[in-house]
Amino acid sequence: MGKALVIVGAGAAGGSVAAEAKRSDPGLSVTMIEQGPHVATAA
Amino acid sequence: MPYYIGDVIKDEAKLTARTPAKFRESGIEVIINTKVEQVDPVGQVVRLDSGASLPYDLLALGTGTVPRMPGIPGEDMEGVFILKRLSDALRIKAYLKETACRKAIIIGAGFIAMEVCEAFVTRGIATEIIHRGKLPVNRWDPELGLMIFDELKKHDVAFTADAKPQSIERGSTYRLRLNTNHGPTEGDTILIAVGVKPDTTLAEAMGLAIGKSGAIAVNFSQQTSVENIYAAGDCCESFHRISKRWGNIPLGDIANKQGRVAGSNIGGKPKIFPGVVGAQSFRIFSLEAAATGLTESEARVYGFHPVGLITWGNASANAMPDAKKIGLKLIADAATARLIGAQAVGEAGVVSRINTLSAAMWSGLGIEEIGYIDLAYAPPFGGSWDIIHNAAQALLRKL
Ligand SMILES: Cc1cc2nc3c(=O)[nH]c(=O)nc-3n(C[C@H](O)[C@H](O)[C@H](O)COP(=O)(O)OP(=O)(O)OC[C@H]3O[C@@H](n4cnc5c(N)ncnc54)[C@H](O)[C@@H]3O)c2cc1C
Ligand SMILES: Cc1cc2nc3c(=O)[nH]c(=O)nc-3n(C[C@H](O)[C@H](O)[C@H](O)COP(=O)(O)OP(=O)(O)OC[C@H]3O[C@@H](n4cnc5c(N)ncnc54)[C@H](O)[C@@H]3O)c2cc1C
Repeated sequence: MGKALVIVGAGAAGGSVAAEAKRSDPGLSVTMIEQGPHVATAA
Repeated sequence: MPYYIGDVIKDEAKLTARTPAKFRESGIEVIINTKVEQVDPVGQVVRLDSGASLPYDLLALGTGTVPRMPGIPGEDMEGVFILKRLSDALRIKAYLKETACRKAIIIGAGFIAMEVCEAFVTRGIATEIIHRGKLPVNRWDPELGLMIFDELKKHDVAFTADAKPQSIERGSTYRLRLNTNHGPTEGDTILIAVGVKPDTTLAEAMGLAIGKSGAIAVNFSQQTSVENIYAAGDCCESFHRISKRWGNIPLGDIANKQGRVAGSNIGGKPKIFPGVVGAQSFRIFSLEAAATGLTESEARVYGFHPVGLITWGNASANAMPDAKKIGLKLIADAATARLIGAQAVGEAGVVSRINTLSAAMWSGLGIEEIGYIDLAYAPPFGGSWDIIHNAAQALLRKL
């Protein structure tokens, strides 16, 4: 297993971190945690 | 979101860039309705409010901002809203429909207040703005703020300046009453839009370094003071290329870029976030408003020698039949004759001018160069001397 990345918050920033980290290192295990019901919403 | 409330965007699904299912397709696990309550940076574990814990090798914080609240009695009453998340927008729109809202009060006059004001008026709701300053949107200087003020008046928006909200209670003519230092006013709904502050709850509890701005301190790779912990977006600082300081500018485009830089570094591909110059814009009815760089007062605080000048001109060539007026303010530093700030308001061509000036400022151009910079010219889009050239040459004479 690759390294584990945990992201707190699934807004514009968290979503971008997740997508780019996975793209740069497909071996990463990525988990994003969001307190609300929605992810990656536009302003 | 304001355009969703105004019914310009009808389908809320259009406001979600990527669903959890889409993330999962690319191999990213998403856990919603779950809060990270605690992080142990030594044991490298996050604890969730579901009781579960999750170990990590690398952690990224994208916790965003929390809205500032005036802290007055009644601000938690039904019908009083903030607009921060999609769920707020859904709640506001549903409330407006259910209550057949006739009148709205907005506390604050920043860009969120302006956008929601337009949305309310578009829905036929009488709208009143309660502002603690004299003119709307403090970042724009008074001459330009006055244009925005006139635009509000043109659309019958009531504007109360120098106002302090004191309490909210049940109303008589409308559902709610807001008491202020200028007396009471009533509305069926009240929107609180008095700004935001970075959400640093977790970061502080973990002992991460917090910058002077109150946001999480990061380096150019978006790394915090702990090597395997990154931060991006509204919750952290960014380097301002003009002031050469770290500060907090909570804007969506910056959050996207910082997130991508953090992700790239986390994935082992080195990347630097080059900083910001503070470009921002919004629309209020038929006016575009945009600004970049420093205001004169910020520039003074940082020790620049700001000289500013407003130039009035047109978005298209003067001879064109429906030439639209633009006010453009340029601010230069007298010591270096470089551009350090720009603000503009007008019915067309404002954002494109400010974006041009942002790029000029980003690359450190002087006012003299900007006065002769090569820009596309055709009568529908400007004069053979664009307002940018005229403004730069006029300012140069003042330096
Ligand atoms: C009405 C409105 C209009 C706007 N218009 C513009 C615009 O026109 N242009 C522009 O540039 N910007 C605009 N913005 C600002 C823009 O929305 C923000 O800059 C951007 O959303 C910041 O993204 P972020 O990911 O950093 O933070 P957010 O989008 O706030 O995301 C942070 C997320 O972290 C979650 N979170 C926080 N703590 C925890 C925890 N402990 N556990 C789990 N989850 C947690 C939150 O629930 C939230 O979903 C607007 C904002 C609003 C509200
Ligand atoms: C010092 C500083 C420098 C900044 N520099 C930049 C920059 O260079 N570039 C950039 O893009 N962004 C910058 N920002 C951020 C930018 O101002 C915000 O992103 C944006 O204005 C947030 O919009 P808003 O509508 O939420 O709040 P604001 O625009 O802050 O609007 C809040 C409004 O509410 C009013 N208000 C506040 N409290 C009360 C109260 N109790 N009662 C009544 N009214 C109240 C305020 O006067 C203001 O008009 C800066 C912010 C600060 C504080």
